[in-house]
Amino acid sequence: MELLTPNTGLMFWTVVTFLVLLLVLRKTAWGPLLQVLDEREQRIRESLEKAEIAQKQADEAISKQEELLARAREEAQEIIARSKNMAEALKGDIVSKARAEADNLLDRAKREIALEREKAVDELRRLAVDLSITATKKVIGKALTEKDHEKIVSESLQEMGDLN
Amino acid sequence: MLFGSALNSITTIARLVVEEGEKGHGEGAGNVLEHVIDHTVIHLPTVLGVDLSITYHTIFMWVATAILLLVLPAVFGKRRMIPSGLGNALEAIVVFLREDIIDNYLGKDGKRYEPYILTVFFFIVTNNLLGLVPGGASATSDISVTATLTLITLGTVTFSGMKKYGVIGFWTGMVPSGIPVVLIPLMFVIEVLGLLAKHFALAMRLFANMTAGHLTILSLIGLIFIFKSYIIAPFPIIGATAVGVLEIFVAFLQAYIFTLLTSVYISMALHQDH
Repeated sequence: MELLTPNTGLMFWTVVTFLVLLLVLRKTAWGPLLQVLDEREQRIRESLEKAEIAQKQADEAISKQEELLARAREEAQEIIARSKNMAEALKGDIVSKARAEADNLLDRAKREIALEREKAVDELRRLAVDLSITATKKVIGKALTEKDHEKIVSESLQEMGDLN
Repeated sequence: MLFGSALNSITTIARLVVEEGEKGHGEGAGNVLEHVIDHTVIHLPTVLGVDLSITYHTIFMWVATAILLLVLPAVFGKRRMIPSGLGNALEAIVVFLREDIIDNYLGKDGKRYEPYILTVFFFIVTNNLLGLVPGGASATSDISVTATLTLITLGTVTFSGMKKYGVIGFWTGMVPSGIPVVLIPLMFVIEVLGLLAKHFALAMRLFANMTAGHLTILSLIGLIFIFKSYIIAPFPIIGATAVGVLEIFVAFLQAYIFTLLTSVYISMALHQDH
């Protein structure tokens, strides 16, 4: 046999062998393998799509949450501001009311004091009259009538009152 | 100590090789071509002018086929979503061929040709590698085998083209449109010759590459017998080892090129617009 002369017998066997190999492998190896490859490709594509959707959803949820948080913070700020205002108003109210009441109380006390003072002065006056009558009785005895005494005392009291 | 024993074993190997060479001298061992030419092993009758005798290359082609028939269905037969081990390695090759060659050149038509193209690749690469096994032979270093594979490819190419464009449409479509009417017969002849030449080159390329690798290794080993010296022996052995390593690469490269060109030719037949 020569190097470059084709051997028809070997060519025949090559055709037979190759065709058998092709047919057997197509059924037993390439078929299942290519199916698995296609399925895997499909699954990877689906997984990637799913992951993308999940990512999008997560992003959405996060942004929504952030929005919610911002709104809550804003609301809290508002509530604080409002309550501060309210408290301020209440404080002013209470203070003014307290001041008014205190003024009222003071007035009443002043008035009562004045009243008491007048009462005390009257009492003192009467006591002074009684004392002076007693004292005068002791000094001048029964020289003067009750009526005279009274007249003299009230006259002098009048004078004292004028002095006052 | 270690160096001494290494040197000792190398000289022993070299002496054995030289003795073997001397024994075989005069029986045609000097002609390296004898080693790459096929020999009949079992004589069978000639049927219709075809000598059906089983040759050395036939046997090794069957060995390669047996390996493929044992390994590939066992590995790819059970449908596993997550591949591992040998299946993973072989699957990587299949995925590479599918994405780099079939999808690239045949696109959506590729699905129909996947089994053929994958079988061609694995058949060629296994045959190529068997030539590197001591005592083995590459059926693909025989022009009969590569020519047959090429004829199958040529058949696939023309059949695909004729199936798509019709028998007449395919052959007339080979002539590019928009040329003077006078040139049409000439162009037809040129295109048909081109088609045949491309496939002839396909067969020759694989055959020549595989034969050349074997001849290089044999020639390097042959140097030992020519020089008949212990001292010279390590250098051809180192050289032959290096060429052997290169041959492993070439075995895959040539299978890849054959597969790639098969896809390209099918694609050209399916898209005739020049």
